[in-house]
Amino acid sequence: MRMIQRSWKIGGIALLAYVFWTTFTVPLGPGLLEFRDRNEAASTDGITKRIETYELIGLGTHWTVQPEELQLFIRKGDQITPLPVIDVINDTHAHAALLLPDTLPSKAWDVLVNHPVDGTLSLQNGLFVDGFVVDESARLPRPQLEERTADLPHHFPFQPRIFETIRNLMLHVPMWFTMFLLMGIAFVASIRQLSQSSGGSSHFDLRAQASVQVGMVFGVLGLLTGSLWARYTWGAWWVDDPQLNGALVTVLVYAGYLILRGSVEDERLKARLAAVYNLFAFVILMILLMVLPRFTESLHPGKGGNPGFNSYDLDSSLRAVFYPAVLGWMLLGTWMYRIRLQATRLNQKLQCLNDE
Amino acid sequence: MCHTLLQVNPIEGFFFGSGKSMVVGGVAVIIIVGLGLWMWRMEKRIQRLDKAATRRSNEANKNPQA
Repeated sequence: MRMIQRSWKIGGIALLAYVFWTTFTVPLGPGLLEFRDRNEAASTDGITKRIETYELIGLGTHWTVQPEELQLFIRKGDQITPLPVIDVINDTHAHAALLLPDTLPSKAWDVLVNHPVDGTLSLQNGLFVDGFVVDESARLPRPQLEERTADLPHHFPFQPRIFETIRNLMLHVPMWFTMFLLMGIAFVASIRQLSQSSGGSSHFDLRAQASVQVGMVFGVLGLLTGSLWARYTWGAWWVDDPQLNGALVTVLVYAGYLILRGSVEDERLKARLAAVYNLFAFVILMILLMVLPRFTESLHPGKGGNPGFNSYDLDSSLRAVFYPAVLGWMLLGTWMYRIRLQATRLNQKLQCLNDE
Repeated sequence: MCHTLLQVNPIEGFFFGSGKSMVVGGVAVIIIVGLGLWMWRMEKRIQRLDKAATRRSNEANKNPQA
């Protein structure tokens, strides 16, 4: 029994040590940043035909390895056409010629790059062509595009706009999950407190209090890590978003729970009042964070139809760190809750001894 | 725009290119292991104090006049 008690605590810390190490040391996979007009023209035959040249910019790519194998395509739906790569400047920069027919089926195109090391990379709506006749019925010759997988060691997936901050996923999301767990423990403890007779002990009330106190720590950390992430990806520390505002209101509601406890002196009355308040607080938590953001427009991933780190974003390399992170943070949170509970009980016991 | 964003944040390239990420990862691991050890010790202390308080409480109950 003692062994089990020890092992889950050690396991939690070991999981978090693994999570921190991999979070900071696993490199980000390659991706495409931009495909932009160089405002220069190249001539194919040196005399007559002048063709616009574009600069292809990657991040973490390896284009100097087998540069002749670098292939560039543009795609719109099932229409796909190759563009010639003129020159590979370095690992992340290459020049290409915009050699296209005069009539195209679309103005906006996805840019695709095929490379033996980096695999197939895409940049959605990376090219917007001007000066061409647009005819939706136009058909381009379909070249053979063989999608490749990256020949690279373990790496995190490249996500546009998120880039390296994808590592924050291992902190921000598990912290909220841990807060949910702790507030759930407090909710159950409050129900059990209320289901006791009026003269019952405050045993479950202490559990709810300790759980909310530790849950608040994780809630505040979740807000801070979220705000930091928002600053990088959305350009502001805070945006008027239902998910963000809901999270802040939830933390404030639980702060109200702790203030309420501090304002009532009678222990029995405090236990019952706090338990009733906590039931409502948990319902508000569920509505504000789990229900409401799904029915409103939101910038936050996973809400309002905005795709989050779901089945196609969360690839196996992220899962290998994300799931241990969720478990590790939850174990740490539970351990913190137990220590807080023990300390509160001890404090109560010492107060009784002093009173005697 | 993305490219500009990365150009004004050159710390990313420096952070991973120079191996500083290993240092940061190592420091983070040390902090989390340190936190675990601190919590372990604190839990032991609380349990010890709890036992002592229970013993004193029992003694006080046995000898109410004392």
